[in-house]
Amino acid sequence: MPATLPGKSPAMTVMPEDAPAVETARPNAATAPGRRISIAGVARGVWRARWFISLRAFATFICLWALLAAWVSSPLQLPSPAKVFDAMVGLAAKGELLSQTLISASRLGVALMVATVIAVPLGFAMALNRELNTYLDPIVELLRPISGIAWIPLGLFIFGVGGTLPVFIMAYVAFFPLLLNTIDGVREIDRKLLAASRTMGITRRAQMVHVMVPAALPSVMVGFRIAFASAWAAIIAAELIGSPSGLGFSIEWYRQLLMSPKVFSFIVLIGVVGYLSDVVLRTVQRKLTPWADGMGIDQ
Amino acid sequence: MSMNVNVRATGGIPNWAKALTLPIILLVIWQAWAMTLPETSPAPAPLKVVQSFAELTASGELIWATIQSLGRVLAGFAIAMVAGRSLGVLMGSSRIVRENLDPIVESFRPIAPMAILPIAILWFGTGTPAALTIVAYAAFFPLLINTIHGVSRVDRQLIRAAQTMGLSRLRTVLVVIVPAAIPSVLLGSRLAMGVAWTAIIAAELAVGAKSGGGTSGGVGQMMFVFYAYSIDLNGIVVCMIVVGVIALLIDRLFRLVEHKLLPWRN
Repeated sequence: MPATLPGKSPAMTVMPEDAPAVETARPNAATAPGRRISIAGVARGVWRARWFISLRAFATFICLWALLAAWVSSPLQLPSPAKVFDAMVGLAAKGELLSQTLISASRLGVALMVATVIAVPLGFAMALNRELNTYLDPIVELLRPISGIAWIPLGLFIFGVGGTLPVFIMAYVAFFPLLLNTIDGVREIDRKLLAASRTMGITRRAQMVHVMVPAALPSVMVGFRIAFASAWAAIIAAELIGSPSGLGFSIEWYRQLLMSPKVFSFIVLIGVVGYLSDVVLRTVQRKLTPWADGMGIDQ
Repeated sequence: MSMNVNVRATGGIPNWAKALTLPIILLVIWQAWAMTLPETSPAPAPLKVVQSFAELTASGELIWATIQSLGRVLAGFAIAMVAGRSLGVLMGSSRIVRENLDPIVESFRPIAPMAILPIAILWFGTGTPAALTIVAYAAFFPLLINTIHGVSRVDRQLIRAAQTMGLSRLRTVLVVIVPAAIPSVLLGSRLAMGVAWTAIIAAELAVGAKSGGGTSGGVGQMMFVFYAYSIDLNGIVVCMIVVGVIALLIDRLFRLVEHKLLPWRN
């Protein structure tokens, strides 16, 4: 019997989130009131708890990896999990993991800030002013299909190898989802809200601050998360090709030195940082726009 | 959406003219700026880009590179399609499979396709297989996730009806669940194809950059050669435009298919 899972899972976004596992909220047999605490009950509860499912999935994955590594028996092509762990500890002790992550993260931060500062006000302006939209929309639609990656060679020429290129590429990549989601968010504001606020005689400025911005914010936040995910994918490419530092650079650098365990360490790190950032963004989104749920916007 | 050709009732400038205004002004400024530079400057200019496009097309280089890149995208996409769809149906229709694989899938998803390029190079060298790996990896996740989504959201009534009629579990999956999931799968395919096209450019670019020569081919490689060897910025701009046009065509093609196959969705 196929299971229907609760929770929403927007298929449209780049990183659709996942329905919470069915088991999370279920009190296990042992804690249910009026029941005798049995070892079997506790064991069953633990076995079906979400954290334990993750744990055993990872344990299985790492065992398979170790077996495969033993079978391949080429530490260059596939280092064993233990070797990667050692390399990771070594890199962490040297502070390299942290410093490279901070470099990439600060580039990401700057790029997202630049993109937000330009895209969000522009999105508001384009959604509210039909004339402006007629003039600007063609440029947006012409540039949008050209992926950020395709700008790398030209960007290398303009900015040279260094920190500016990744920032430029990421800001470019982050710009479009932010802009389009802002435009959508503003356009879909409930007309009744606008009419009501006008009836109450508030100024245009107050309407902007108290009605339009809060109403469009959930959609902007969705745009921001997509922007983040695209920028995170783009930074690796940009740093790998045209930067002397950062996470993308590090994996390529250690590949050239044929230090596979370190390559794998950085790849794991990229996954972990990307995942944690999305968790943080989702939390921020929920806290910042608790009203989004009622608007049919997936959290 | 921008190509609204209606002249507004009040008269004045028609919308299509407004739409063209800014692109034309920008092109003119760009051309004027390029003409102030000395003749030897490598800076791209619109007229030179057009010329470069004509030359690259006439020599067949551009067309060949595009075909090569597209071929890789299709091959990588096919691999991802087989893997992503079958795993997706499995994960979508069985809670046990889904619960157990979810943590692994979720931890791989934030790893950018380009991050596994170094591994792909270590395993397969700098040729086509490495590029294919990146494309397949990039396309896999949208396909998988949208298939799971589609399969797990199939109307329960349909499944119950099928079971009432005594269909086996496998047959239910094949004749009820898989067809009902088509809309999600199509959406996933469109997204996957988009990221696959981006990924192939990135892979070719990086493989070109890291192998230090022209062994891999494709549009991305062509851009890299223009950047690193012949310093032909006009050629780079031509490639960028090709990348954009192909991305647009892929998107429109899939939308058209969605429109034709699922007329009730519009």
